[in-house]
Amino acid sequence: MNSGESTSVSVPVGAPGGWANGPLPPHVRLGSGTLISGEHAFKRFRAKKSDALVIGDNATMDGVHFAVEADGRIQIGDYCYFTNAVLLCELELRIGSYVIIGWNASIADSDFHPLGPAERIVDAIACSPLGKNRPRPAIARRAVVIEDDVWIGPNATILKGVHIGAGAWIEPGALVTRDVPARARVLGNPAQIIGEVS
Amino acid sequence: MTPDRRLEWDWFAGSVPENVLLDESAYLESTYSFHNFRSRLPEAIRVGRGSSVYLGVMFDLGPGARVTLGEYVLMNGARIICDSEIAIGDYSLISWNVVLMDNYRLPLNPSGRREALRAALQREHRRAEAEVPSLPIRIGANVWIGFDCCIMPGVNIGDGAVVGARSVVTHDVAPYTIVAGNPARVVRAFKAEERRPHGAAHA
Repeated sequence: MNSGESTSVSVPVGAPGGWANGPLPPHVRLGSGTLISGEHAFKRFRAKKSDALVIGDNATMDGVHFAVEADGRIQIGDYCYFTNAVLLCELELRIGSYVIIGWNASIADSDFHPLGPAERIVDAIACSPLGKNRPRPAIARRAVVIEDDVWIGPNATILKGVHIGAGAWIEPGALVTRDVPARARVLGNPAQIIGEVS
Repeated sequence: MTPDRRLEWDWFAGSVPENVLLDESAYLESTYSFHNFRSRLPEAIRVGRGSSVYLGVMFDLGPGARVTLGEYVLMNGARIICDSEIAIGDYSLISWNVVLMDNYRLPLNPSGRREALRAALQREHRRAEAEVPSLPIRIGANVWIGFDCCIMPGVNIGDGAVVGARSVVTHDVAPYTIVAGNPARVVRAFKAEERRPHGAAHA
């Protein structure tokens, strides 16, 4: 593992503002053979914890957004392959090895805002340019765990607290709000089990 | 298109592949759309008269893939994942973030996926793929597909149909019906008098 050094990337020649050999932000640790490409990779990376983003060996992170807030932590195993995925993290995303995430899929471990209407007004003010130093209300956050060998299709969405068992197959466009058993195949909004992987 | 197959307005320093046939009246916004294009068929992509392919459309085509766009087709940022054939009929409208996929690129079986991920490290662009079955997609004429939809392998969508935003289409759609949902279901059918333009409609 190397820490805080620049990494090789696979940005297409001529792509505007690609993450072309830029320095990695602090708190990022990459294994050997791991590539990160894309202009958005660290645009919203505001992590403050040590080892906020740790990726294993031989992973390919093509056009992935690592949107990590101060307390967030993302852990990704070996040989993972994500294409233009959006990872929104305020707490914890724990992703195993050999996980594939398709184009434009998103994963979030937070609701980002409170559910109740009164709390949402308080939050809207606190988030506004006029809300300096106002405390934000409590927001529901729960870690997302994705075990080894999971396949997540393009345009799928995984919400907070979801645990996806090893080898599961998430069909394109699925909205996953509940745990998925190992090797299950799910589809729909909300995602329902439609079978098992062979 | 310039003689060396570049586009004057292109932000990307690429060219239009030789086996992409663009009608001279068709509009292509950027050759970046071919970043994942690797079809070797002589007429891999055909874009018909008056059709537009805007920014963000990606032709992710395998070596034996063919994509046909009819006339007056309007396409924004769609992801076309194709190893066999995807055909889109005249006057069809395809909106942002739509996924058209005729195959899954990787096997359902986890051990097959592990093998493909290890092999990807040696391939150009680290492309992760394996031999998996493809089922052609046929989209009729005058079809409208809304934002963020996924059109799954083997699906046929009949003429005049509408697919609501964020739908995932897993089964065929009958002509002149509106479907929506994930998975998509029929919402209603167009009446006979709604099916044809009043008077001479187009250029």
